[in-house]
Amino acid sequence: MVKLKINGQEVEAGRDSSILYAAKAAGITIPTLCHIKGLEPYGGCRMCLVEIEGVSRLQTACTTKVNEGMSVLTETDEINKARKAMLEFLLINHPLDCPVCDKAGECLLQDEAARYGASEGRFAEGKRVHPENLNDPFIVRNMQRCILCTRCTRMCGEGQGAYAISVTGRGAHSFVEPFSHDKYNCEYCGNCLTVCPVGAIMSRLHRHNYRPWYVEKEVETVCGFCGVGCTTYLQMRGTTIIRTQPMLGTGVNKGLLCARGRFGYDYIESESRLKTPMIRVNGVLEPVSWEKALQYIVTRLKEVKSQHPPKAIAAVASGMCSNEDNYMLQKLIRFVIGSNNIDSTARLAYAPSKTYIEKIFGAAATANVIADIEKADGVFVAGGDPTAINPVLGVQIRSAWRHGAKVVVSGQPGGLGNFINYSLNSVPHHEETVLNTIVIGLAEMKGYSGTNPYIEKKIKALRVPCEPELKATGVTLESMEEAIDDLSRLKKPVVVIGPALLQSGIPSKNLFLVAAIAYLTDARIYLLSKKPNYRGLIDMGCVPDAIAGGLPVRPGQIKLKNSVTMSVPADKGLNLFEMIEGALSGGLKALYVLGENLVFNLPDREKTEKALSSLDLLIVQDIFTNETTRHAHVVLPAAAWSEKDGTMTNLGGRIQFLRKGASDSVGRSEWRVIAEIAKALGMNETYRDSKEVWEEMTQVSVLHAASDYEDIKDGGLMWPYGSVQFQGGAEDFEVEGIGILPEVKSEPCEGPLKLYLLPERSLFHSGSTTRKSRALLSVSPEPYLSLNPEEALRLGLNDSDTVRVRTSRGSAVVTIKIIMDVPERAAILSNTFEKVNFNSLAGYSVDPVLNCMALTDNEAVIELI
Amino acid sequence: MITAAIADKNAILKDKIKELKRLYPQTRSVLLPALHAAEDLYGWLGDDALEQVSMLTGVTTAEVKGVVSFYSLFKTKPHGRHVIYLCTNIACLIMGADTLEEYLQKTYRLSNGETTADGRFSLVIMECIGACDRAPAMLVNDDWHFNLTMENIKEILESYK
Amino acid sequence: MANVLLKNIENPNSHRIDEYVKAGGYFALEHAINEMTPKDIVDDIRKSGLRGRGGAGFSTGMKWQFASLDPKFPKYIVCNADEGEPGTFKDRVLLERNPHRLIEGMVITAYALQSIRGYIYVRAEYPHVEKILNEAIKEAYDKGFLGDDIMSKHFRFNLSVHRGAGAYICGEETALINSLEGRRGEPRIKPPFPVNSGAWSKPTIVNNVETYANIPYIIETSPKAYTFLGTKDAPGTKLFCVSGAVNKPGVYELELGTPLREIIYDHCGGIRGGRALKGVIPGGLSTSILTPDKIDCPMDFANLAKRGSMLGSGAIIVLDDTMCIVKIYERAMRFFEHESCGKCTPCREGTGWMRTILSRIEKGLADMEDLATLEDVAANVAGKTFCPLGEGAAHVLLAVIKSYRGEFEYHVKYKKCEVADPSQKWEHISEGELDRLEPIV
Ligand SMILES: Cc1cc2nc3c(=O)[nH]c(=O)nc-3n(C[C@H](O)[C@H](O)[C@H](O)COP(=O)(O)O)c2cc1C
Ligand code: SF4
Ligand code: FES
Repeated sequence: MVKLKINGQEVEAGRDSSILYAAKAAGITIPTLCHIKGLEPYGGCRMCLVEIEGVSRLQTACTTKVNEGMSVLTETDEINKARKAMLEFLLINHPLDCPVCDKAGECLLQDEAARYGASEGRFAEGKRVHPENLNDPFIVRNMQRCILCTRCTRMCGEGQGAYAISVTGRGAHSFVEPFSHDKYNCEYCGNCLTVCPVGAIMSRLHRHNYRPWYVEKEVETVCGFCGVGCTTYLQMRGTTIIRTQPMLGTGVNKGLLCARGRFGYDYIESESRLKTPMIRVNGVLEPVSWEKALQYIVTRLKEVKSQHPPKAIAAVASGMCSNEDNYMLQKLIRFVIGSNNIDSTARLAYAPSKTYIEKIFGAAATANVIADIEKADGVFVAGGDPTAINPVLGVQIRSAWRHGAKVVVSGQPGGLGNFINYSLNSVPHHEETVLNTIVIGLAEMKGYSGTNPYIEKKIKALRVPCEPELKATGVTLESMEEAIDDLSRLKKPVVVIGPALLQSGIPSKNLFLVAAIAYLTDARIYLLSKKPNYRGLIDMGCVPDAIAGGLPVRPGQIKLKNSVTMSVPADKGLNLFEMIEGALSGGLKALYVLGENLVFNLPDREKTEKALSSLDLLIVQDIFTNETTRHAHVVLPAAAWSEKDGTMTNLGGRIQFLRKGASDSVGRSEWRVIAEIAKALGMNETYRDSKEVWEEMTQVSVLHAASDYEDIKDGGLMWPYGSVQFQGGAEDFEVEGIGILPEVKSEPCEGPLKLYLLPERSLFHSGSTTRKSRALLSVSPEPYLSLNPEEALRLGLNDSDTVRVRTSRGSAVVTIKIIMDVPERAAILSNTFEKVNFNSLAGYSVDPVLNCMALTDNEAVIELI
Repeated sequence: MITAAIADKNAILKDKIKELKRLYPQTRSVLLPALHAAEDLYGWLGDDALEQVSMLTGVTTAEVKGVVSFYSLFKTKPHGRHVIYLCTNIACLIMGADTLEEYLQKTYRLSNGETTADGRFSLVIMECIGACDRAPAMLVNDDWHFNLTMENIKEILESYK
Repeated sequence: MANVLLKNIENPNSHRIDEYVKAGGYFALEHAINEMTPKDIVDDIRKSGLRGRGGAGFSTGMKWQFASLDPKFPKYIVCNADEGEPGTFKDRVLLERNPHRLIEGMVITAYALQSIRGYIYVRAEYPHVEKILNEAIKEAYDKGFLGDDIMSKHFRFNLSVHRGAGAYICGEETALINSLEGRRGEPRIKPPFPVNSGAWSKPTIVNNVETYANIPYIIETSPKAYTFLGTKDAPGTKLFCVSGAVNKPGVYELELGTPLREIIYDHCGGIRGGRALKGVIPGGLSTSILTPDKIDCPMDFANLAKRGSMLGSGAIIVLDDTMCIVKIYERAMRFFEHESCGKCTPCREGTGWMRTILSRIEKGLADMEDLATLEDVAANVAGKTFCPLGEGAAHVLLAVIKSYRGEFEYHVKYKKCEVADPSQKWEHISEGELDRLEPIV
């Protein structure tokens, strides 16, 4: 700490603090325009000039560090004249269009001009003209208003790592531009919008319909789009969200958002939201009252229950819903109905990966702070582009790279493309060989520590790939070796695992190999989760083999005061795949689907549809009608994430509050509806609010037993939530096919090479909900099939060609998009749109070790039409 | 459309940039030499060239453009067969460079940043080019010409066809 | 005339390594590597009192010492050959005629700082220099003065040329580093200074061409011998580049402290056409003009500062009485406006504003209030810019208005220029001639 004087006041500040922050801490405001918290100081606007005793020139407070004994003045006549002069300089080229400018009311330039006095218009020459640019769907640029503070370009570069806009030109001819002048070629994180202090970069969606004074209330909540759990503020006018806005420096995202979080929320207000419950009458869904719908559900459930064992009823929990919603659903199934048949789409990849990794390394392995990624000295990514799946987490990887971390990506690098040292972008089904090579190489370089004998034994059992096998991967041996070399030197590495790791080859082997890399480099592990609450629903017990808090199901385990069924049923329940099979074979009769479009989100659509249509009772609670509600007997409107209170757990294990923005919504909080059903079926408890649900949960969950609800408030509650006993150690685990490698088949000399269809994990969409977002549709309006240029050349295809893509499961007509980094022999298909989607063109099998899904039947043929 | 000729140039550029990368500890630094190389190859730096450079250096297109446009001597539009770089800074000004500028305007209808209709000359008005002892001076392409007068400038330029 | 830096340049092949070696070249390097420790060299340079020749005149020895004390590795050695200051062409002469001297100076510096990599940042306006340098570097590699095992002493230093692309601001060392890193050439915040965190965030020495060229001399003679040249406060010789209204413009190597009058009247043969002296810009366009009464000033850092100007790059631009001050400074401001990088508000907006007012004054379209506004705008720029470019623009303008206010006022009042009929100014051209010329189609 150093002591200094500001305006005569004694102030203490950290050694590295700037005068600006030292003053701020002492309650003294120094005006700034170019400075922005969280980005490097810039010193361009010269508004923050201050006087330092003994220094002849005025200095900028934002760039000058404090010194012991320093004496600073922040408001003198000279300083005020200088600030007024800076404003005058800025205003000579700034249009005086405040009355029509959407920024009016929250414009820094306007505020400062009001404070220091407007200029007298001494500038006689004409102002710079630069017409408003409306060629982009999201971002309106009005460069006449730009004051060249470069906050936007620095945010885009330093903050977001996208470098999609830049100051172009020099001196007074500088403008902020994307490459193409008009339409942006970017990730549309919109973070430039947050930081522009004037009306130069504005959101098109809010053009002329947003004014700061329209905001009646601002609600801090977490974004409902992905597992990062960004803090965001819903700016409400009545029941409408007029804008979602992050706050710089706040939350896991520290003020960043992605395209989905910033623009995609409008699906909530879509006209096609489900507005009333519906019951199928003579094959058609007909609107009914809530009472009637609930009564119907209760009657039908009772019916099923009376005729079949509890095992005939199951539920699918939702990664979009809160912990409380999911807790209540599993309570209904476990404690009221009496079966363990509860699962979710986390089953496809996230849940089995988590279980498996925790088995190898102990329960703490997957609970890590997202912000720590930035501090890593190396990042190994496998299984999907983090900048699309969990965008703000992806930004952390870029940031690590900029700070010198080595980034190695196995698979399509996507948004990490410019931020990697080695790209190991292998041919589908051959990732395994690459990973295998890296593990063996690392083991050779680093040796064995003996910490975990189970994993070491398995690493030793790996077979060394031979040359043709290596060749078949499409990755050069050189880059694998260099990657090994770099990885072996890391001191603070991070391993990021995405869902695609499990989609081809042998899932348990792939996962084991990446775990081995994490083991050998001693890395922290992050599991990507596209849905916001996959981790939470698992912790809430929405898995067939464990109760809330993660203890395996055992009979008589938990006793809840007053509960109907006082104990957990004895048998393990059905997992998602078994539910489908069960429905097909007739063992399963009733299914409660909470916030999940099963038909759309599982491969082998035909099978899912057949299964759902064989049920006696299908209850779907969702915010839209969709492919799944089409088979439902009852449909209940749900509340969207912005319409309810509760908690969510992010992918690193941080529990945060979800807060209600709209005061009334068409849907009702899911947990309330489920509780009502449970009550009608004999549950005793009543709950006034979501807090009471949480409190009951803490009695069941050993993991949450010691947590304090109040602690969630500031920045969230971190794993292990105050419990110490819940650490768990490493156990032995199984790996399928440990000594084998993907077969190298000799390709036919003539005719096309084999091509594999893979699902896209899009930055602009998440599942089927975002197809209702007008905003996201404006940048990603239709499905496409992406190929790399060489593949396209081989197939004689050009960008924008219309083709028919065919697999053994069916075909679809779609346009081609040529993308550099798509792996060889892969064709990547969107999975958002109704007509053309990946899942109706592929099948799946269930991995025996992980119980996750592995894609099958995805060999594709593409023909020009 | 990528013609065979352009594809060839792209390949040459790729090799050139690979070679240049060895000169710097970070890839990013290769940007200026890469842009010079691209300009030499393609003649000027249009959007296609910038995209190519972006791809080969890993610097985003927006940033490449930001860099290119910062410097006044990158050729960001097509130019004539010969480029006249006429210095008009103080030392040259006081020795008559402004009359030479007028001369070019009158004789060739050539003004700063423009190209003659026949595509023969382009003119770039320069800040000091470091030839003040023999002012006024200019460069035509890479050749220096000093102590210019109304007479000799005519002769000099006429030797560039 | 002193002959430290320009030694042997009369030789038409002075740029070839053989000629350079014949004249005693690379002896200093050999001596340094064989007989001296890196620390000895840094100490010697400090003792010599050598001050940077790029403009700011900072002690070279101190700069090296700061860098050598920084434990970070590797360190980079950069030569600033951007020479953009209007009126300056001294580095060009060194680069064209004596490139090995620069290389030798840089290799000694590298040895002193245990650096393994160097760059020469050459302005794009000197395309031929890049060629000469590349050839010289190749020669030095071939002879083992550069490379992985210099003079078989296991000392490694590699050197290459980095070409600018037309931006005066890239002469400023931190902007130069940005440009070297492949960025827009905007200056960076100091501290950290390049000596601690420069190119690629590593300790970096940026010195001017002429500064490096002094190093071999100091090593081969002694720091003491060096201090015999020049003044106590500013030892050594300086390359003065004289242009404008003198009979013999050119580069002159003279001891620091040589009076300006002696340079103009003795070395440069006086004012052309025997005209009267109107003023002298002593150190490049960014230094304030001196009125004729001040030309007895010794040309060194302190004495020029005393007279409100600077030694700058040693570019002396001489103005005679036929020249219009307003026109010249309108052009000067056009330069600053054109070269402002745009990073900071006062320079970006102020230079353009000042230029527009100057243009109006020059064209006779301004009133007295405009002149007052001009001074006020300049005062609002001065002292508030991010880097010395904008600062310089405001200062030179304030200084010239102060010294030549009458001429500015005349322009405003009479809507024309005070100096004699402008058509008389040019010896080799007249208005009539211009009109007679037919456009060539
Ligand atoms: C706007 C501006 C332009 C400059 N241009 C040059 C230049 O062209 N050449 C140069 O050597 N130094 C130039 N400098 C000075 C450099 O910043 C730096 O001080 C110098 O290269 C240090 O070398 P020295 O200590 O050997 O003089 C310039 C400085 C400023 C502020
Ligand atoms: S004074 Fe400001 S705008 Fe001008 S060159 Fe320096 S930093 Fe750039
Ligand atoms: S806030 Fe300090 S210069 Fe802009």
